[in-house]
Amino acid sequence: MFSASKAAEFSNEPLSQQDLPALDLLALTSVSKKYRTINLGVCSTVTVLMLGALSVAKYQPWFRVPDDLHNAYPYACLVIFTLGFLWFTYHFFADKKVKFAVREQDVSKESGLFFRQLSCQPILRVQHVELKRGPLDRWAGLASLQVFSAGGEMHTFEIPGLEIDEANQIRQFILDHKDVSAR
Amino acid sequence: MEEQEITSSNAGSSVKVETGDAWQRLAIIAILYFSARNIKNSAQGLIYIIPALAIGSNVLSKLNSPEAYIAIGTLVSLAVGSGLISFFMYTFRVHNQHVEIQTGVFQRRYTNLPFWRIQNVKIEHPFYYRPFGYALVVLDTAGSGKEEANIVAVPVSYANALRKQVLAENKKEEYSAALSSSNLNDSSVQSPAQSSPEHLSSDNGAARFGELAGGMPERNKLEGDSVESDEEVLNTRSIGDIVIHGITNNRVWIILGAAAPFYDDAIGLVSDWLADKGLQLNQIVGEQTVAWWQFGLYAFVILMMIMAAMALLSVGGALFTFYGYTLSRSEDRYIRRSGLLNKQEVSMRASRIQMITAKQDWLDKILKRVNLYFEQNSTAGQQVQELMSPNKLIVPSVTEQEAVELSQEVMPDCQLHRDDYLGISKRFILHWLVVAWSVPILALFIVGIVSSQLDIFLGSIGLLVAGSLLLTLRWWRWGIAADGKYVYVRRGRIGVDYLCFEPYKIQQVIVKQSVFMRRHQLASIKFVLASGSVTVPFLPEHYVKALADSVLYEVESTRKSWM
Repeated sequence: MFSASKAAEFSNEPLSQQDLPALDLLALTSVSKKYRTINLGVCSTVTVLMLGALSVAKYQPWFRVPDDLHNAYPYACLVIFTLGFLWFTYHFFADKKVKFAVREQDVSKESGLFFRQLSCQPILRVQHVELKRGPLDRWAGLASLQVFSAGGEMHTFEIPGLEIDEANQIRQFILDHKDVSAR
Repeated sequence: MEEQEITSSNAGSSVKVETGDAWQRLAIIAILYFSARNIKNSAQGLIYIIPALAIGSNVLSKLNSPEAYIAIGTLVSLAVGSGLISFFMYTFRVHNQHVEIQTGVFQRRYTNLPFWRIQNVKIEHPFYYRPFGYALVVLDTAGSGKEEANIVAVPVSYANALRKQVLAENKKEEYSAALSSSNLNDSSVQSPAQSSPEHLSSDNGAARFGELAGGMPERNKLEGDSVESDEEVLNTRSIGDIVIHGITNNRVWIILGAAAPFYDDAIGLVSDWLADKGLQLNQIVGEQTVAWWQFGLYAFVILMMIMAAMALLSVGGALFTFYGYTLSRSEDRYIRRSGLLNKQEVSMRASRIQMITAKQDWLDKILKRVNLYFEQNSTAGQQVQELMSPNKLIVPSVTEQEAVELSQEVMPDCQLHRDDYLGISKRFILHWLVVAWSVPILALFIVGIVSSQLDIFLGSIGLLVAGSLLLTLRWWRWGIAADGKYVYVRRGRIGVDYLCFEPYKIQQVIVKQSVFMRRHQLASIKFVLASGSVTVPFLPEHYVKALADSVLYEVESTRKSWM
């Protein structure tokens, strides 16, 4: 659609063995399975803790809970359980669909359950790269790769749930890229 | 430390920008600036105390007392004193292509800014500087707002000379980058961080202007000492234009003003309707001496007066900001000068412009005017007032023809008004009706049916019609087009905005697709630029994918710098 002047010297071959030039033919790889496990664990724990806190408040012997709150207990439990269940179900299905791909010239990520989103970040436009690791990530040996461009904080490109070695490899690949490492 | 003072005496054509090793002190007039700034800063802090003071004591009666004089005197001397201290604690030097500034009383701050990192040079003329020929130089870097450096008071001639040298340095840097990259047999090199100097961008800059100059219509030169000899004036705005801008950019009052005769009836209708539903406004407002409708009327009169005042303020504000507006071009830079009391000068490199936006709201459409924005990179979190923002160069309320000419000046051969815009799918209307509007409309509808209230039922229908109408307008406007050089987006509801950008400046491309869209082979595309993002929803899937691939190819194969 735009200039084809430099077609001869330009290449953007996928890093896998297959020959895949277009975005919708990307060789997408899933992120680590541990990412989903962690998220499911977090959902369950938070839900159980909240239900537990409610139950403790209802059945503790130290002070009297107003009758209205007593009566609201089953409904509150139902709401928390429903939200927790929805949250759990979402991660159960959506986390499997977080995929990424690295090509010579760009990094891509596909995510979303109902609204699928494929973002593509040309490495040429990368300003800096970060690995983000929370306590759970560190415990599971995972990392999130954050790629910053001039597009602003709102559009930070992030691949979550990468194995730490893999994340480091991609980070190094981006840093070693001639367009980023130049000057 | 040897300290000297720059005075107006070295004004003239041969102003030396380099100040040497010695740290320089500002002109005496800077005390005024520092005092004003300190007063302003403390006033912003004190504004919250005013209500407390007013309630706690009868301020007016005490205004004449000796205590008040002492308080005011103390405040003024504090301000002047702090101004003096700031003045004495401020030193700067321009040395070896670096601007170095030392400021601060308790917390000393040292800023070292190499010329090649300076993105914008803004020269401001506060009104109290103007009789004495001084200016404030604001040096803007690509980074965060914190990196901005001000040289508070230097002679105008020095400010101009400094600006010239910084720009020349930028050009030199660009030229050497061009040379080195051509030696490497590689096109432009993009650096990892914004701290890098200029880059080669082969199709803009001087070359573009050279080829354009022949084709450009003759433009009148502005007679004025502020415009430099090598500048070409592209546009000036008359007072009439600016007044139009003031009016068109504050439109609420017009609607409220036009509706004034119907207020009384409207209140009556609403109150009857509410009373019908068992709500008595009298009960809500409370048993007071004033009837609730009088109360309402007062409120509306006050609202009207506020709106009228705001309209006047808007016109006044526009005049303050844009009085004497000139947009000129000096080689590869655009320079905007305007301002009634405080003259402001913003300059922006042509290659830094990410996107052109031509905005036309309904009132602009009637008056056939367009607000044209040249958008540069926006630093997140830096909320500069839109009109004053150095990141957006605005040309206020130009005619449609001027908008076309100016946009083609910045992006040669761009055609904002084209007939090959690819419209978005009608499913966009359905999608938003279902996703956003269906719940409130259905809720109202059900309430209407269950309580067998005809008006609630009709209200839900009305809401549905209004929602559909707005969505239809949005669908009708929204479209995208791409020629060999640019991507164009048209959008709006009643007004219409035209956007145009060069595909190689894209930072990131995002393709979105819901399950519903996938079934109908539709997709949305979002382009992330340094100036913000642009989304076009519900386009044919194959088009979106081809466009995304082609834009990515353009970015990755040309390797041109976005800066």
